[in-house]
Formats: sequence, C-alpha cells, structure tokens
Amino acid sequence: MIFRLALRQIWSHKKRSIITLLLSLIATFTLVFTSAFSDGQHEQIVKSAVEVYPGYIEVANRDFEDNPNFDNLIFDIKAIEQILKKDNRLYAYSPRFETFALYSTKIKTIGGLFCAIRPESEANITRLKESLVAGEYLSSDDTNALYMGVELASRFNLHVGDKLSFISTGADYSFAADNLYVKGLFKTNLFSFDNSAAFMNKSYFDKIMMSDNIATKIIIKPTNLDNINKITKELNLLMPQDINVRSYYESMKDLIKAMEVDEFFGYFSIGILFSVIFFVIAIFAYLSIYARVREIGVLRAIGTTPLQVVKLLFYEALILGSISVSLGGLGGGYLAYYFNLNPISLEDMSGGDKESQKMMEDTFKQYDFVVDTTIPTAFKIDSIIRDILIMLILNIMTVIYPIISMNRYTPIQALRYV
Amino acid sequence: MKKMLMLILIVSSIFAITAKQIIQKVNNNLQSNSGYSKIKMIMKSKRGERSITLESWNKGNKKSFMKLLAPKRDKGITFLKIDSAMWQYVPRIQKSIKIPSSMMMSSWMGSDFTNDDMAKESSIVEDYDTLIESEDDELYYIKLTPKEDATVVWDKISYIVAKKGFIPIKAIYYDEDGAEVRSLKYLDVKVIDGRNFPTKWEMRRVDKPHNLTTIIISDVKFDIKIKKSMFTKRALVRLSK
Repeated sequence: MIFRLALRQIWSHKKRSIITLLLSLIATFTLVFTSAFSDGQHEQIVKSAVEVYPGYIEVANRDFEDNPNFDNLIFDIKAIEQILKKDNRLYAYSPRFETFALYSTKIKTIGGLFCAIRPESEANITRLKESLVAGEYLSSDDTNALYMGVELASRFNLHVGDKLSFISTGADYSFAADNLYVKGLFKTNLFSFDNSAAFMNKSYFDKIMMSDNIATKIIIKPTNLDNINKITKELNLLMPQDINVRSYYESMKDLIKAMEVDEFFGYFSIGILFSVIFFVIAIFAYLSIYARVREIGVLRAIGTTPLQVVKLLFYEALILGSISVSLGGLGGGYLAYYFNLNPISLEDMSGGDKESQKMMEDTFKQYDFVVDTTIPTAFKIDSIIRDILIMLILNIMTVIYPIISMNRYTPIQALRYV
Repeated sequence: MKKMLMLILIVSSIFAITAKQIIQKVNNNLQSNSGYSKIKMIMKSKRGERSITLESWNKGNKKSFMKLLAPKRDKGITFLKIDSAMWQYVPRIQKSIKIPSSMMMSSWMGSDFTNDDMAKESSIVEDYDTLIESEDDELYYIKLTPKEDATVVWDKISYIVAKKGFIPIKAIYYDEDGAEVRSLKYLDVKVIDGRNFPTKWEMRRVDKPHNLTTIIISDVKFDIKIKKSMFTKRALVRLSK
C-alpha cells in the first residue's frame, strides 16, 4: 500500500522526480567512470613498467639483490628450467644475463647496461620486441648483433648497421670484448632504459662472456596474471636453497607503493568532489521534502502514522535512488567497457598539438615512467557495483535528516506550515 | 734546570717528525720516479680462486703502463694511464678504449682493487691532509683526510706505519658516512734498492667478506730508465704483442 503510494507520488511529481533522478544518475555515472579511468591509469602504468622489461616474476640468486656481483648468479639454469617446465601455469620463461659494459666507437666510449636474452622467449614476456623502431629484433642465430636503445644509439650517433665495440668482465671475471653491429633500435618510452641498455643473443654472448648455463635471473610470465602471488610462493618451495623467486610486487615495490599513494590521493580527490555532489543532492532532497510539509500534514490528518510517512518518503528515495544509480552505473560501466576496448589516446587528447605532445613526453622523461600514450579504463564489475552501492547509500542518507525533522511536526503544525 | 728542560722541549719539537713527513717516507718506500715490477694478483671469492699476472711500468704517479701476461685468454691486454686519463688496448677487437673517469672506482678485472688503485691516480701525499692520531713504541697511527680541491673518493684513510723503516702496515679506507669500506695489509717486506718494500699486499672489502685479493710483487726495480715512447697510445698496440 505505502510502496504503491510512493510510486504514485513519484509519478505525480514528475518534474521533481526527474531532477532527483538526473542528479544522482549523473553523479553515479561520473563516479563509475572516474574510478574506472583512475584504476585503468594505475594498472596501465604498472603493467607498462612490468612488461617493458622487468617481468612479472623473477628467479635469481638469493644474495643477488643485496650484492649484485658475479659470485651471486644462477649457476645452473638447466636445473631451474627443469622445475619451470613442469609447471603448466607458466606462459613463458626466459633467462637473462645482465651486466655492465663499455660501448665504444671511434668517437667516444660510454658505459651502459649489457644484457643477454633468448630473443624468442623474451618476446613472449616483455615488450622488447614490440619496442622496435628501426632495423630488426634479435634472433637466436645472431652472433655479434646488438639491439640498442634509441637514446643510447643517438649518444653515439649510431644507426642500424653501424659498428661499435664493447668491453666488459666475463662471468669468470676474465676480460670480455668484441666488435658488434647495430641490428635494431628500440624505444620503450622509459628514458633511462632507452638511454643505457643494449641486448644481445644469449647463445653468442655466452661464448664471449663465459656464461654458458649461467644467468643473473630468469623471468617468468604466468598464463593467468591474477595467480602471480600464489605461483611465486609455490615456486619458491621447489627451488634450490640459494635461489629466490619473487613477484613484481616485491621487485618493483617502490613503484607499487607510489601507485598506492597516488591511488589514495586519487580517491581522496574523488571523495572531495562527491562530498560536494552529496551536499547538492542533500540540499535538493531537503527542499523537495520540505515543499511537501502540508501534503504530509494532510496524510497525517487522515490517519497516516509517522512511521508510515517515514516509510513513504524512504520508499520514494529508494525507488528513485535505485533507478538513478542503476542507470548511472550502467552508463558509466558502458563507457568504462568501451574505453577498455578502445583505450583513450593522450595524443588524440592533445589534438595533435606537437607542443602539448612534447610537454607530455618531457613529463614522462622527468618522472621516468613508462606511460603508454593510450590508457584503457579498468572494467571491473565489482568496482562498478561498489560505486553503485556507495551512491545508493548516499542517496538514502540525504533523505534521513529531512524525514526525521519533518516528522516532528504535528498534523496541525504541518497543515499550517508556510 | 728549568732552562735545560725548556731547551730539550724546543729542540725535540723542532726535530719531531710530522705526519706529512711520515707519509712522504712511506711513499718513498713504495714509489720512485720510475719503476718496473711483475705482479701476480690472486683473487679469492665464494666461487673459488683465480689469478692474473702482469707487468707494470710507471713514472711517478702520473704515468703508468701495464700489460697482462696471464691467463692466456687475457694475454696482451695493455693499460695506459696518463694523468687522470686511462686507456686500454684489447687485442681481440684491436681497439684502444678510453676508460671514463666515472669508472675509475670500478673493480679492476673483478678484483677488490679499483682502476684508480691500479693506475695510482690519486696520491696519498698530494691529495690528503695528514695528522698523527696516536703512536706507540712501534707504530704511527695516521689519519688522512682529503684536501679541499682533491678529487678523491675516500673520506678518510687510517694509515698504520711501522716506526722502524717507515714501512706501511695497514691502510683502512672509509666512505663519507664514516663506515669502513676496505682494508689493505702490507706484508713480506724486502729491502730493494735501499727501500723497505712490502711485496705482498692483501685487500679485503667489508661488503664482500668471502673475498680476498692478494698482490704478490716481484722483480721490482726502482729508478730505471724507461723510454718516453712507452707512455703513448701507440705503445698500447705495439707492446701488446
């Protein structure tokens, strides 16, 4: 009876109902989309940072993190690979040997990161291959070919096909050196990486660096990225005592922490924005309910109890709130879904303005973030439901005070209310 | 009597040796205007033991030349240091490469010695202020702190010197936080050309407790004639053969 009356009240005061509906619909829509955008941005930064080179899970000597020297390497890759081969949850794994080398041309000598990779398996895990901008990516047949960061190459003024030499210390601490040529150039957008790193096919590298069956680390990509922590934990139990397995949550904890702080401040800003929206809705709800004091007085005069009045107004708020947050959630969710499939392009947002793009690039360099210029929004059903529920609860909260304060009026007071 | 005591005090203060003089005397034992030596470097680490052999020529601490003799894989690699610049020639790539000054503190051939140690770029006489911290019957304990304009890495070096013969016993190197980084022990002192020269040096790093790098110096010759052409980039290639 009260519920039907509430429906009738909504229908008979169309203008008021539509405004109430629109207010919380827009607010829900905005909340769902901004949350999806913010989550998507953070996920993209972490994903880019992980996939560009570090990898989701890494296997290394337990002492390597604190003392990254040649005494603390993986000295039997094959034994570790035997363990990894048996785990069907792993999409790919690849050993690496990372060290420091002096690159030298006739003009100058520069120190940089010198890494050996298995080109094919590495391409299944990181974005090195995708980052190719000139020449060719490495292959497992390559001998003295180098895949070089564009910024490092530009410091030497090197192009594809040009020659250079390197000197370094071999895994057995002997002297290692060779003449190389630039096979390909890569650009990851991570400035310091592009400015210092170069890669070589590990099978040839091993001959020069005396590093056969030796690696600084093995990186792993699981098939299901949600299982990373579980897989890391279980692999650790299977590894030899001197070997440690850790996920990017540990290896990149500074970035993860920075993202958590940024996420906190992001939600804090959204919280402030929605406090303002909440007060707008609350004021409108207050005014709408107080505009009906005489109407409520009539209802009370014909025998409606205060509890029934509370129920009536509560149902009205619940019906309007449910419709508006559902529609807003659906709209915001659809937009999150659409931009998840069709990521927002920051380059397009700058309207092709080269100056804006340069500014954006400089900001990336300054913070040394690997930020793709396209950001997909996060489409998570649980986040959307969470935002819908928040808005529904806020909607209901906005009517609690006006309902309580109006119920203080006696029927006569309400009828005389001007 | 009082006058006599005063006189003894004044005379003894005049003839008291300063820290700078001690360090200079130590340096005279270790270095000469020109010199030659054969060096065997033995490096012990968690992974085992390995060694390299080399010949070294020097003119003061401004010019030095080194040539690796063993192991076979590294034979013929030559190093040249002139003032603060250092080059190396690698026969495998037939190229001379200049080592950036930023790498002077990097490990030399995976040992606990740095490029700077091998090239003797910084000098304990020229780059450090000296102070006798304490002394006993046999030893001086000297504190070396970098001069304001000196481009050196160590914030402090504690030098222990035997009073007899001004023989260096031990040097302890500290970083800018005052933490000990490494220590160098001088052993097996022999008298060569009238100098008290330690022929075995042991370097230990605090952060690598398993490591020990030992240098055994033989065939030491001081104040020999060395052709000027040895300290040229051409010599890097010529003498590598």
